Amino acid sequence: MNAIEQESSVIKARAPASLGTLQHTRRAARRMPEAFQSISYLTVTIFGLFCLVPLWMIVSGSLTDESALGLNGYSLFPQPFSLRAYELLFTGPSLLNGYLASLFITVVGTVLSISCTTSLAWVIARRLPFISRPLTIFAYVPMLFNGGLVPFYLLVTQVLHLTNSWFAMILPLMLAPFLIFVTVSFFRQLPEEILDAARIDGAGELRIFFQIVLPLSKPILAVLALFYAVTYWNEWFTGLLFLSDPDRFPLQLILQNLISNVTNAASLPSSAGDAAAPVYQLRFAMTVLTVGPILLAYPFAQRFFVKGITLGATKG
Amino acid sequence: MTGAEQGAARTPNRRRRLSSRDNLVLMLLALPGIVWFLIFSYGPMAGLVVAFKSFNIRDGIFGSPWNGLANFRYFLTSGDAATIVFNTVFLNALFLGASLFAGLVLALMLNEIRGGLYRRFVQSVIFFPYFVSPIVISIMLQVILSGVGGRGGLLNDMLSVFDLPQVAWYTEPGAWPWILTIVKVWQLGGYTSVIFLAAITSISEEVYEAAAIDGASRWRMALSVTVPLLLPTFAVLVVLGVGRMFFGDFATIYAIVQDNGVLFPTTDVIDTYVFRSLRMIGDFGTTAAIGLFQSVVGFVFVTAAVLVQRRFQKENGIL
Repeated sequence: MNAIEQESSVIKARAPASLGTLQHTRRAARRMPEAFQSISYLTVTIFGLFCLVPLWMIVSGSLTDESALGLNGYSLFPQPFSLRAYELLFTGPSLLNGYLASLFITVVGTVLSISCTTSLAWVIARRLPFISRPLTIFAYVPMLFNGGLVPFYLLVTQVLHLTNSWFAMILPLMLAPFLIFVTVSFFRQLPEEILDAARIDGAGELRIFFQIVLPLSKPILAVLALFYAVTYWNEWFTGLLFLSDPDRFPLQLILQNLISNVTNAASLPSSAGDAAAPVYQLRFAMTVLTVGPILLAYPFAQRFFVKGITLGATKG
Repeated sequence: MTGAEQGAARTPNRRRRLSSRDNLVLMLLALPGIVWFLIFSYGPMAGLVVAFKSFNIRDGIFGSPWNGLANFRYFLTSGDAATIVFNTVFLNALFLGASLFAGLVLALMLNEIRGGLYRRFVQSVIFFPYFVSPIVISIMLQVILSGVGGRGGLLNDMLSVFDLPQVAWYTEPGAWPWILTIVKVWQLGGYTSVIFLAAITSISEEVYEAAAIDGASRWRMALSVTVPLLLPTFAVLVVLGVGRMFFGDFATIYAIVQDNGVLFPTTDVIDTYVFRSLRMIGDFGTTAAIGLFQSVVGFVFVTAAVLVQRRFQKENGIL
């Protein structure tokens, strides 16, 4: 038990409690920027560029004509500008299939994950005699020991028969013990008075959970949604193991296929019969379209994420 | 830890006797999670018996004949064992050290930036790589290290500006531990800095005021006040990282190296080795044996880490 408490305290300390609201320590001090401050601005900006430039190169590459990519190498700005890869992708079927698969896995997976995580976490957080503590240990042991790849592979293929099913990419990732314990510590900080009031009014356990606990837990639900959704969207390892039908590939797996075998890229827009498919340009365009949704959601998601974790860490 | 104390104080309140119907309802709530853990966490643990068997699909997991420790012997005498164990530990140590150091430095420096808007923007930017998938990282790395048709690439273009010889990076195993380390810093530097920044927030303002009165420069404050106060956080992260030492970062490494055998001597870790032998050779017994070996050693590491960390927190009481 104690170990779990410690663990969750680390989680709290590790959580970005304050991305937006960090205090400016000793703001009174000086007017002139010191050398260390200038160096800090410079270094942080350079690191920021270091983080952004590779992504930008991909975007630029996806908009550059293939022949120019081969001749001049990559450049910061698309020269000459070409939308051919995107045209091919949007007219071919693979992109649509990929998005469908990725969306299905992400949406269904996230909903399942959140339902199971919150309900299990609530039962643990209730501190029921003879139930909560064994459950805590039950959920903690897998963080220490696991069976490894082979039994897992045999389980999914031989016992559950999930080969070529999207559920082979959903079910194995459904619960993250780490997130269960984050949720437990959030639930334990909910104001007890409200729950007591509900009990006095005669609300049953189910009603309390669905009508009081969950609506009060929006911040942690947002955190769970973000973490699980990104995990499912980025997942490719289970796909590599269990999916073999290219029509069912999610985006990450299509990309994987493009890396491991350049000739696959040529066959990507199967409607285009011409031999000179822009292999590299296509690969970059596909990458942009794969990262795109995360990039678009990021500014909003990050806000929720910060809010949620800050609330989770400071309330109570 | 205030949350836990408060929780403990409330406990009597929660201990009210529940009707058996309420208990049943709560068990039903927990059921999906319990079933999942039984199937996906505890099931594979039972499946580890494969490590002691000469497995074939026809007879199944429990029907295949036993073969004692033959699988382990095969792995240990194959000559790969030493290499992949060394790579796993060595690469993880590099990743851990580099990303913690980068995170610490970034946090100290971000703390100096005052413009709220700019700071929030930069933080968002350096945190973003954490959300980029390994496959996408792999494609970005190819842009940098090899151009269209396998030669050139951004780095080589830069080298040629300085009249330095071109390098075919994907055939140079010696460089890869460092390349992967840079990738890890890119991926985790911002994330780790966020953890440290959260810890910096909890440092009391008074300490800095005292330092300011003593005439300390900001650099001096960062070095002599912030860093020592961050040490407990740092130590806990080190301990947790060491605990995970035996589990390679499969996703990133495999996505980048793929099946490029030239790079195996320096990049092949236990997880990638296991994955490859399962997929290409289909040798379930030996692969399960390696997995069991990894799980057991990993368990020892993780448990030791948790124990050390608990002890550490008791002594410092900061986290």
